[in-house]
Amino acid sequence: MRVAVEINGEHHEREVEPRTLLSDFIRHELGLTGTKVGCEHGVCGACTVQLGGEPVRSCLMLAVQANNLSLRTIEGLGDDPEHPLLRAFHEHHALQCGFCTAGFLMSLEPFLRDNAEPGEEEIREALAGNLCRCTGYLGIVEAVKQAAGEIKPA
Amino acid sequence: MAGDGGVGAAVKPAAFEYSVPDTLEEALELIGAESRPLAGGQSLVPLLNFRLARPARLVDVNRIPELAYLRKDGAALRIGALTRQVALERSPLVAAEWPLLREATRNVGHAQIRSRGTVGGSVAHADPTAELPVAFTALDARFHLRSSSGARTLGSEELFRWPYTTALAPDEMLVEIEVPPLPQGARAGFVEHARTHGDFAVAGAAVVLAPGRYAAVALLGAGPKPLRAEQAESALLEGAPAREVAALAAELAGGGYPRALMADLVRRAAEEAGA
Amino acid sequence: MDDIELPGLAHLAFVRSPEAHARVTALKVPKDAPGLIAVLTSRDLEGLARALPIQAPDGAEAADEPHPVLAGEVVRYAGEPVAAVVAESRALAEDAAELVEVDYEPLELVIDPALSQCRLVRWRGEGGDVEGAFAAADEVVSGRYAMPRLAAVPMETRGAVASYSADDDLLTIWCSAQDTHRQHKQLAAVLGRAAESIRVVIPDVGGAFGSKGSLAPEAAVAAVAAMNLGRPVKWTEDRFENFVGAYQGRGVQADVELALTSGGRMLALRAHIVADLGAYLLPTTAIPPHTTGMLMTGCYDIPAARVEVVGMRTNKVPTGPYRGAGRPEAAYFVESVVDDGARRLGMEPVELRRRNLVSRFPHPSPLGWTYDSGDYRRCLDLAVELAGPQPQPNGEWLAGRGVAMYVERAGGQFESARASLESGGSVSIASSTSPHGQGHDTTFAQIAAERLQVEPDRVKLSFSDSAVSPAGIGTFASRSVAMGGSAVALAAEALVDRCRRAAAELWSLAPEELSWDAGGVLSASGRSLSLGELAAAAPGLEAEARFESDLVFSSGAYHADVEIERATGQLSIKRVVAVDDAGTIVNPLLAEGQVLGGTAQGLGQCLVEEVIYNEEAQPTTASFAHYSLLTAAEMPPIATAFVESPTPLNPLGAKGIGEGGAIGTPAAVGNAVADALGGRRLDPPYTEEKLWLAMEESVQR
Repeated sequence: MRVAVEINGEHHEREVEPRTLLSDFIRHELGLTGTKVGCEHGVCGACTVQLGGEPVRSCLMLAVQANNLSLRTIEGLGDDPEHPLLRAFHEHHALQCGFCTAGFLMSLEPFLRDNAEPGEEEIREALAGNLCRCTGYLGIVEAVKQAAGEIKPA
Repeated sequence: MAGDGGVGAAVKPAAFEYSVPDTLEEALELIGAESRPLAGGQSLVPLLNFRLARPARLVDVNRIPELAYLRKDGAALRIGALTRQVALERSPLVAAEWPLLREATRNVGHAQIRSRGTVGGSVAHADPTAELPVAFTALDARFHLRSSSGARTLGSEELFRWPYTTALAPDEMLVEIEVPPLPQGARAGFVEHARTHGDFAVAGAAVVLAPGRYAAVALLGAGPKPLRAEQAESALLEGAPAREVAALAAELAGGGYPRALMADLVRRAAEEAGA
Repeated sequence: MDDIELPGLAHLAFVRSPEAHARVTALKVPKDAPGLIAVLTSRDLEGLARALPIQAPDGAEAADEPHPVLAGEVVRYAGEPVAAVVAESRALAEDAAELVEVDYEPLELVIDPALSQCRLVRWRGEGGDVEGAFAAADEVVSGRYAMPRLAAVPMETRGAVASYSADDDLLTIWCSAQDTHRQHKQLAAVLGRAAESIRVVIPDVGGAFGSKGSLAPEAAVAAVAAMNLGRPVKWTEDRFENFVGAYQGRGVQADVELALTSGGRMLALRAHIVADLGAYLLPTTAIPPHTTGMLMTGCYDIPAARVEVVGMRTNKVPTGPYRGAGRPEAAYFVESVVDDGARRLGMEPVELRRRNLVSRFPHPSPLGWTYDSGDYRRCLDLAVELAGPQPQPNGEWLAGRGVAMYVERAGGQFESARASLESGGSVSIASSTSPHGQGHDTTFAQIAAERLQVEPDRVKLSFSDSAVSPAGIGTFASRSVAMGGSAVALAAEALVDRCRRAAAELWSLAPEELSWDAGGVLSASGRSLSLGELAAAAPGLEAEARFESDLVFSSGAYHADVEIERATGQLSIKRVVAVDDAGTIVNPLLAEGQVLGGTAQGLGQCLVEEVIYNEEAQPTTASFAHYSLLTAAEMPPIATAFVESPTPLNPLGAKGIGEGGAIGTPAAVGNAVADALGGRRLDPPYTEEKLWLAMEESVQR
């Protein structure tokens, strides 16, 4: 089947089997390997991308379902070290192996956009949709607090 | 765990045909025993990935705009089956008049699940640990089903049968959930217990209370399907305190720890609802 | 690792046994299937691959029961790989795997190690007059304590890509693994190939925590397939496979006896430890239980001890190192019996510890290891101080607090480094270690930069390619800063020396006449050379160093405050205090990250994590639906502090910090829970149901 999808503003068209997962499509068909795959049953959050500005698990979507839709992946966030989220993650040692990080960032962008001054409990609940095995999360929580102070909601 | 070809071979789905109709009528023509609807995919795709579900065809209903709506019709709330859970969560209408639905939806997985998962999908999947079936049960919701040959409407008791099993025939689709109005000033509480935040619930309670006029206590995890705790409801209606309501409801959860847990959850939900 | 793409890449999927113990009576492979390239069984591996080698720890007896690459006539755990399918895509490989027909004749199952007839490992350690001490004791406290099996659950699963070049007979393999060295050695042994004919590259790794140290049998299959088929072959482990097929941690039970005087002096300790090792000895399966045995005197000056460790065969996936790798078990066993002893004597748990802490170093323990340095008293005092007064719960909750000490072995053997002066004046260092999130780039750059007197960003680290990296042992057992960092320090110093000599030669001076200034400038009597200029004048300057040492011993004191909800048994961890002594701390931010990460895993073990096998020896915790990990929402406040008792055994004074959090936390929480329950001792995980039942039982009594 033909699937046409816009990712980070770029248009892509490919032939895919219906059963190809969106996560595999992004990573292997399109070579955008910033998105990671951790479980393929929707729990770990490593595969989180954005669809229509909302965070979604790319391992729980078929590539064909993204036909004519617009997605944003971690590559769309870029690597500007001055980006508030990226800088905060760096300063607070919010990543160690880095495997879960793209998923966290893709989830956090919409969260910070929609929540002006999130409290600690709100932040922790928002983070609960992404698993990290390395950091114990405290650095991530601190990074979010710092970034929240700097990112003005849309 | 045992299966031909060995255990744990699967993380990619078995092959299937794929259709994406853009009207309900088209979809209804296509669905059948081997031809399953795919809505949000948050429950179905994991099953596909593990090859625990192997339909010959998937009918993707996400492109049928007529199935996604959230509106008041007279005094009742009509929810199109394809409404995303996040829409239910964020709706001011729902928050104002059926707050139980918002509370229940907040407990569904995580934001990333709710942005894609649908209200109808959660109901039709009938996971015994799911929140929305329990909430709808507490609200006396009516479920409108369609097939290419007709339509019918079921209540919660008739719809939910066993874990992952509803009364839906293979060629039937849930198209709408209709929620009757609650008395003015009715309050609600939804409390569940899971091992970690967002994990599958172990037990839960949905309580709605308008003293003297409406009382509902629905339990999650007390049986193979959502359960109304009728004795507890009678007591609650007449103004019994939360602890008493909880003790009555918890009898349905069995004994020992499950009962103690359920009693605690019902008590807290009842307190949230003003008992 | 799954990011790696190569032209012509083929994909592996495995047929895994659904039976936990069975004879394979028939195996039929499909002749044809869409995208199918080949099917491999143990028969196809004959002569090409032998079973994985076994490492037996010093003084331990280990049975000759290695893990075969693919199961032969008998399968011994549910999930054991039986056949391998190579196809054009993973999905097609899985399709073809379903067509493989295997007949199994079930055999008797062994699930409980206590009922197993097959001993895979045995070790005994003894020192001092154990019998005499027990005879002289006023009190003998005994207890049975157990830690269930855990899964390491790195966010990136295991995997390998193998590629073979027939022209130069070179097998290249990329592995999501902890280091090149063990993958290399084990693969060479399994394939019967010379080490030079194999190149191992470790790409970025998404966590490991001990579970990616040994070679995965599946990686060996990928290698054989690549060599036979003339195409590169990729195996990406999926999450189910990782839960079922990756070796697990813990799974140990101990009967411990502590002999005490009524005044609170520890006289002797006896322990019988039974480890549920699973079906085979993987290369490192025998190591954690041995470590547990060796550490059974803990931080205490116990003059006599006798410990026996037996590792029994069961029909489960094998165990192996998982963050702590035997040390959390030892800390839990020792600290539990010490607390029980305090209770028996009517003494404060902290006080009983204070009276018995080792205070003179080096300290030879009666079980054979010598602890190099430490300040156990300071750790304990600091933990108590940081813990502060006990928070007062409301009546709905039972409160408890617990403290636990630990000592753990780190480092040992050797690592090496090669430092080179690059054109332009930067320095590149090839280290024998392999980071997977610990930040070796940063820490080692710091270490080298200090000695080179340059900014850390002038130092570039490289790791993890056997063709280029210097020899070493591996990244595990909290060894990398102590061993790898020391090697980097020595290599940097050796490079300084070489540079000095080269500059001296250029100027016809004696090297002692040159000084080395900040910014990497060599100067003497008015002349100066920057490193960049030196590199241009004398290209190719480099120096290698190998650093070897005995084990170093980190230690610490952990403290936990908990509450248990009476109505539901819910355990709430209010606060954890982590005081770790890992010697000199080179980078505090990174070290704290290790403590927090380790503590989170320790808390996971206390609250939710447990591998469960049912009565058919089937793993029921085979996905995230059943094996939970803590999320950010469950983490309590954690206060961390470092005590620094430098080790005399390396130039940095550094020990190991990677595992302390996982070691101290369960022991402290265990003691806090017992305190909340009035002395009733339970094993982790402290689930609501377990605690509720315990409270019910004590109410009824």
